[in-house]
Amino acid sequence: MTWSRRLSKLSSLPIKVGERIGLFDHIPPGLPAGARPPKHTFRWDLDKTYLRTEFDSLRDLAKSAVETAADKQAFPGATALLRALCQEGNRICIVSGSPTQMRQVLAAKLALDGIEYDEFVLKNNLKNILRGRFRALRAQIPYKLPAMLQSRIGAAAEAETLFGDDAEADAIIYCLYADLLANQVSIQDLERVLVASRAYDDDANRILELARRVPKGDVVRRLFIHLDRRSPSLGFRRFGPRLVPVFNYFQAALVLYEDKVLSARQVIFVALEMIDSKQYELGHLATSVQDLIRRGRLTREVALQLTAEATEAAKSGALSGRTDLPPFEKIAEAFRERVRELGGVQPVTWESAEPLDYVRLVDEEHEHRRTRRKQGLG
Amino acid sequence: MHRIVVDAMGGDHAPDEIVQGAAEASLQLTSAEIILVGDATVLGRLLPRMRHDGARVRVHHAGSYVEMDEKPAEALAAKPDASIIVAADLVARGEGDALVSAGSTGASVLACARRWTLLEGVRRAALAAVYPTELRRGEKDDPFSLILDVGATIDATAEDLVGFAVMGSAYAKLVSSNRRPRVALLSNGTEAGKGPPAIVSAHAALVETTELNFIGNIEGLDIPRGVADVVVTSGFVGNVVLKMLEGVSETVVRLARYAHKERLAWRLGLVALSSAIDQLKSITDWQQYGGAPLLGFTHPFIKAHGRSNARAITNAVKVAHKALAGNLCGNIARTMAELDERQQRRPRAGTTPPVPSGDA
Repeated sequence: MTWSRRLSKLSSLPIKVGERIGLFDHIPPGLPAGARPPKHTFRWDLDKTYLRTEFDSLRDLAKSAVETAADKQAFPGATALLRALCQEGNRICIVSGSPTQMRQVLAAKLALDGIEYDEFVLKNNLKNILRGRFRALRAQIPYKLPAMLQSRIGAAAEAETLFGDDAEADAIIYCLYADLLANQVSIQDLERVLVASRAYDDDANRILELARRVPKGDVVRRLFIHLDRRSPSLGFRRFGPRLVPVFNYFQAALVLYEDKVLSARQVIFVALEMIDSKQYELGHLATSVQDLIRRGRLTREVALQLTAEATEAAKSGALSGRTDLPPFEKIAEAFRERVRELGGVQPVTWESAEPLDYVRLVDEEHEHRRTRRKQGLG
Repeated sequence: MHRIVVDAMGGDHAPDEIVQGAAEASLQLTSAEIILVGDATVLGRLLPRMRHDGARVRVHHAGSYVEMDEKPAEALAAKPDASIIVAADLVARGEGDALVSAGSTGASVLACARRWTLLEGVRRAALAAVYPTELRRGEKDDPFSLILDVGATIDATAEDLVGFAVMGSAYAKLVSSNRRPRVALLSNGTEAGKGPPAIVSAHAALVETTELNFIGNIEGLDIPRGVADVVVTSGFVGNVVLKMLEGVSETVVRLARYAHKERLAWRLGLVALSSAIDQLKSITDWQQYGGAPLLGFTHPFIKAHGRSNARAITNAVKVAHKALAGNLCGNIARTMAELDERQQRRPRAGTTPPVPSGDA
C-alpha cells in the first residue's frame, strides 16, 4: 500500500478520531463575509512564550506530551497580558510548533486560563512523517511564515503585534513577516531565504504565492521576544527598535503601555499576576522597569507617568480587596527610586537599522542549532 | 529575597569580569537580587552582552571608583562618590543586605568600617583569608582553611582574638558545611603558655568555651597541613603569614618552571606529573571559593581576590548569599552574647571578693 493510499484511508476515519491523532490541518477560516476587519492582531507562540515548556531533551519532550492541561504552566503575567489583549476589535491568533495531537490539551489549558482566541494553528507533524518529510519536522520558517500569511489573508488588521521567544528562530521569522508585509523583502529575496531554510519545493511555492496575495502595509508595530533562555539581549539589536527582547511579561506590558495599547490599570493587573505567582516581588518589577530604561526600550518619562496613572487607578479602586500588597504609594516610590538610581545615564540610542540579510540570518540559525545539538542542548 | 550589592568597578578585571560574574549569579540564585554599583552608562552597555535575568540585576550609579594602587584613606576622602562608598552606603541604608568587592582591600575595609556598625559584643572586625591545605573539612571536603585576622586589626587583644575565633567558627560552619570546625590560635609553640600575653590569655578563655571546638595552639607549619579549620591570629601576624604563604606558592611555581627548562629528565618528570598537578590546581583553585569575608559587622562583606574573574565573582556572590541565608551575622551576635553572659556570671580569675571597709 502506498503512503498516499494509507493517508486517504486514514482520512476517511471519523473526524473526531482524525482530530485526536492530529491528522487534519486547522486552516484558519478567516472573517465571515461582511465582517469588519480587526483593528489589531496579536500573534502568540505557545511553548516558551506563553507556556513554560521544556523540550531540550527527549525526556522533556516525553514529559510535555503526557502533561495534562492543569499541569501546564503559563509564564507569570502572560495570562493577564493575553486576557488584557482580548478586547473587542482585537484578534488573537496562536501559531505554535507543537504537534496537532496536543490540540485538545492546549485548548483546554487556554480555556482554563480564560483565554479566548480567534485562531489556533498547530504543526501537523504526522502528515510530515507520513509524507516522509522529515526535514519539515524541525523547520520553522516553512511552517510559521505561511501560517501567518494565510491568517492575514483571511483577516488583515491595521496593526499587528507578535510574541515569540529566543529558543528558536522566532525573531527571524517575525521580522521576515513584518518586512514582507512592508514590501521591504522582495519575492526574489524570499525565494532565496526559503532555499536557505531548506523548504520543500511545493511548500516554497505555496509561501511565495501567499506572499504575493497577502495584503501589504507597514502594520507590524511590535515584536516581543521572551528571553526564556536568557539570551543576551544585545544579540537582538540588529533586528531594530521594533523588536523588544523581554525578560518577563511586565516588561512587555510596559512597552505596550508606552505604545498606548494597554492602560495603566491593565499593566497593574499583569504585575499583580506576577506577584501572585510568588516568583516575583515588587523589587523585581521595579528592576524590570530600570532594565528597559537602560536598554532604551522605555523612557523615564513614560515610567514615571505610569506610576502616576497607576496610583490614580489604585485610588479609584482598581486594587480593591488586595490587602496583601504594599500601599500603592510604596510601589510607585520603588519604581521612581529605580529610575533615580540610574543617575544621569544616557539611554541607548538607535541608529537607523540596516536592512536584514535574512539568508545569512537563516544560515547562522542553522549553525547555532547544530552547535546546540552537538552540545546536547536540544 | 536577599539583595547583594556588588562593587562593579573594583578589581583588576573590572568591570567586564565583575559584571559577567554577577550576571551569571543572577541566573543561579533565583532568590537574590544583584545590585551592581558603578558607572551606569558602562554597566548598562555591558549587561545586554551577557546572559542574565533582567528582573534580578539592577544598576546603581556611582560617579568614580578607587584604583587598586591608591592610598585607601586619601582615595575615599577625594572620591565620596566612589563605587565602594556608594555600595557600602546602600547596605548601611538597608537597601542592600551584603556586599561583594574585588577592589582595593584597604579601601573596602575602610568604607565598611566607616559606614557600617559592629555587631553587638564584637569589639573589632576581622578580615579572613582562605588557604588550601592537605587535610579537608566539612561535608563538601573543603580544602580551604580560614585564617583571620589578616589585616583589619593590626594589634589584637585577648578579647579580640576570642571574638575572631567565634566569628571564624560561625563562618566555617556555614560556608564549609562543617558542623564543628577546629579552631586554633597561631603561636610559636603548641603549649598553652607559649606566645605573647594576648595569646596566652586568649588560650585560657577559649579553653573554657563550649560553643567552639578549640584545639589549642598551632604553629605556622600546621597551617598548610590543615590541622585547624580556623586559624586565629592578630592582623599583623596574619598578614605576614598570608604573604609568606603566597610567596612560597609562587616560588614553588617558579622552581618548577626552572626545572622544566633545565633538564630533559626533569621536564619529562613534570610532564608525567602534569595531570596530578592539574588535579591539585583544580582542588586548590581559589576561584571556586570566591572570596573571604570581613567579619564582625552587621552585614556580610565578601572580599574577592583582586585578580578575580567572572567565575570567582559568581562564587563570591554565592558565598554572600549563603551568609545571608544562613544568618551568619545573627549567629555571630548570638554566640558573642552567650559568651558575654557566661563571662559575667563567672567570678573573674585572680580577683578577690570586695573587702568591706572598716567605715561601713
